[in-house]
Amino acid sequence: MFTLLLSGWSGIGLYRVYHLLRKKRLLFDDHFTLVICMSITMLASFLFSMYTILLFPDLYAASLLLGIWIGWKFGALLRTPAQLTGLYNGAMGGAMGTMFGAVLQNPALCRIPVESAAAVDLYSIPFVAACFYSCVLLSIRHSLRL
Amino acid sequence: MKEITLAYLLAIDLLLYSILFVYVFRRKKLIGIQLGMNISQVMGGVAALLAGIVFILLFPFHFTLITIISAAIGVAAGAAFGLLFDYQTCLAGLTNGFIVGLMAPMLGSVLDMPGQLIWFIHGLFLFCILFIVISIQRS
Repeated sequence: MFTLLLSGWSGIGLYRVYHLLRKKRLLFDDHFTLVICMSITMLASFLFSMYTILLFPDLYAASLLLGIWIGWKFGALLRTPAQLTGLYNGAMGGAMGTMFGAVLQNPALCRIPVESAAAVDLYSIPFVAACFYSCVLLSIRHSLRL
Repeated sequence: MKEITLAYLLAIDLLLYSILFVYVFRRKKLIGIQLGMNISQVMGGVAALLAGIVFILLFPFHFTLITIISAAIGVAAGAAFGLLFDYQTCLAGLTNGFIVGLMAPMLGSVLDMPGQLIWFIHGLFLFCILFIVISIQRS
């Protein structure tokens, strides 16, 4: 339930930034396009593939494909050379998020000692990641105004 | 003895980081935007990697807290090196430091023989510093 709320929050933020970038996509230079594409694609695909693994523990391939799809959409939004960056970073973030979600669900994969395996809960790290992600989205919206 | 060695290594890393920060700060007018972005990304990532692996070996029973702390260290290092140059550079370094900082404690807790990997990562760190100093002097 908590994961569902977090994913809804992140999804709404991502959708609003997508529309904002779509409205203003003719204003960017190359450097800005590269940075925006890299940072937002990596974080968003990481977070959403982690949520997918936490919600549906069996869909490994689907979460990886979700990361690649996010990268593809953002790259296609901005410019053609940015599409390569977006695709690469989306695949990277998707693979990392899948791994992280699997470790959070089953801490014995990572040989965390048994006494502290109860201390690894499913909620605190995704919550911190979602807070950081919304801070990055805010700073991207701020950097559009500079 | 092992913990004392790890603590000394952390102190040496912190010292090297501050020396490199002062060095880059005094020459930041000479550094272009491309090199600035590379410096910020590399330094954020390596700081998060070192902090995550060394902290998880020091305190193996606090996985969640160590993950958050190492992510915060990566974000702080990437942002500090990025703010010397540009706002967008800061954004790139911050994101890279965060992702590597979430991954590093996982790598550290899987390890079988941690000594070799620790020396390898410190060698990588010194190598990165050497390359950054050379490329600053050439630019």
